[in-house]
Amino acid sequence: MAKHFRLLAIAGVLLVGLVALLAACGSSNGGSSGSSSTAPKQLHIYAWSGEIPASTVSAFEKATGIKTTVDTFDSNETMVSKLQSGATGYDLVEPSQYAVQELAQLNLIVALDKSKLTNFSNLMPMFQNVIYDPGDKYSVPWIWGTTGLAYNDKYIKGPVTSWKALWDPAYKGHILMLDNMLAAYIAAFQVNGYNFNSTDKAQIAKASQSLMQQRPLLMGYNATNFAQLLSQGQCWICEAWNSNITPVAASNKHIHYVLPKEGGSFWTDGFVLLKSAKNVDAAYQFINYLLDPAVAAAASNEAHFATANEAALPQIKASIRNDPTVYTPLSELKHATVFLNPTAQTALLQADWTKLRAQ
Amino acid sequence: MSRTRRRWTQLRAGALDTFFSVATGVVYVFLLAPIVIVVVYSFDRSSTGFIWTGFSTHWYRTLFHDGQMWQALRVSLVVGAAAATCATVLGTMSAYAMARRRFRGRALFNALLLMPLVVPEIVLAVAFLVFLVRVRAPLGYFSLICGHILVVLPFTTLIMVAATSGLHRDLEEAAADLGASPRQVVIRVIVPLLLPAMFASFVLAFLFSFDDIVMSTFVNGVGTTTLPLLVYSMLKLGVSPEVNALGTLLVAVTLVLLLTTGVRQATVMLKRG
Repeated sequence: MAKHFRLLAIAGVLLVGLVALLAACGSSNGGSSGSSSTAPKQLHIYAWSGEIPASTVSAFEKATGIKTTVDTFDSNETMVSKLQSGATGYDLVEPSQYAVQELAQLNLIVALDKSKLTNFSNLMPMFQNVIYDPGDKYSVPWIWGTTGLAYNDKYIKGPVTSWKALWDPAYKGHILMLDNMLAAYIAAFQVNGYNFNSTDKAQIAKASQSLMQQRPLLMGYNATNFAQLLSQGQCWICEAWNSNITPVAASNKHIHYVLPKEGGSFWTDGFVLLKSAKNVDAAYQFINYLLDPAVAAAASNEAHFATANEAALPQIKASIRNDPTVYTPLSELKHATVFLNPTAQTALLQADWTKLRAQ
Repeated sequence: MSRTRRRWTQLRAGALDTFFSVATGVVYVFLLAPIVIVVVYSFDRSSTGFIWTGFSTHWYRTLFHDGQMWQALRVSLVVGAAAATCATVLGTMSAYAMARRRFRGRALFNALLLMPLVVPEIVLAVAFLVFLVRVRAPLGYFSLICGHILVVLPFTTLIMVAATSGLHRDLEEAAADLGASPRQVVIRVIVPLLLPAMFASFVLAFLFSFDDIVMSTFVNGVGTTTLPLLVYSMLKLGVSPEVNALGTLLVAVTLVLLLTTGVRQATVMLKRG
């Protein structure tokens, strides 16, 4: 026995490995062949945390009998990298507007068949044909918001109306910028009067220079708990996404959110269908279900975000409908725009941003 | 020694004692203060998390009904236990082999085992995901556990290498001399001697696996979102004190476990006299 120990050991390891591999592959093969015929229908969603309330998901499950799982990610960049590396299993993904273009360019999503979305016309006209996805070819917007300014009026008097306030030396050490390259450059381009979709080398250099000049005045770059820091008073003014400001503005009356006169930006989170999706019918059923006015209104009332569904508006609670941190008046959105080609823009801005953050 | 000299030495010793007591106290406060704040604010009525507005168990009730949190906790515990067990076993076997035999490529083997410590975890995670996709392995518990073993194995190996280096060859030889078969030597001599270190490496591996975010992000599959991943993804809309409630429960469970093992240890030692 001891003579052949080495041989036996190698054989043992190989056997264990083989069994494990077979078990793994077997489970995947067995799973997929089963789902096409008699196994219960399933749906796998990869979304932002909290944007599809659990009550909405369980109501969908009850109405259709489709077992739904929702997995969450923390940023668009993580989600895109994961899908780009080849991860499969998800059917629907909920990217932000600029990630829709990235996913389309990476050939990871398919064009939607609108004939299966009978509730599509419930969307607001501006969301039926979005600038970043003409004709809503790939995506169906679910919720929207804006990128603007938030300030604490205990420390900053008077209405703030411009991005210039983030460069005000009077607030030195109490200014926060978003730790997100595209978001920071929105402010940098617009404060100089440029459109942030500009690919002009001189304008990009000027925007980068503005960020460099701003750096000594900043408290830091923060994309996570800036709303709390603002409410606590350590930060007086910051660049912000409105959805983060909503909960703190509800408890602290000194917090105000505004869209600067230079325009700001708006964001949407919507659904796209992955090319590798296995449960295509269930996916369309889910999107159509979310486009129902009653469902969209219930979700919006529960999670306090602005829905893209026009038919749902009458059913939204008045307190949410009139909350300026949730619904920015459409008239103010005149100058707000989005990144039209984020992949290309990222390539142009990355070097300067890395230099800025490396200091 | 003169009386004044003696007094001076005593004073210095007393001052040093005080200094160390104070320093230890400060370190304890530094380490425990965040945990205390987490526990305190889990009972806060509002959701701001830093302004006390009143006592309430609202967040515990919310937590109780939050299926997603419990599912994530379950995933984390299962993956942690499995990964820690496998990593401990593999680490022990590797460490023992490296300590006892001089086989070809021993240095390379050692280096490979420690390499995940040097490579940035995100590089490891993305590369592993690409590999899994290539071999068409399904993403789920299997991929998560393998990924976590990869991340945690260097730590268990290092601990077991230290433990096996203190293992006297004489003990094994004495056991063999007294008539133990190789299998009995392993079961009745080596493993009991290595057991404390194996336990320590299991605990460390479990903790690292429980906290892991980067590897989990990339190799988790449908329905296998781990707890830290879920909490981290809640940052966009603001983390609610429900997380504080969960944290408090985890701290309470850990405390109970520690106290029971501590009490057991104490009674065993007392019995031994």
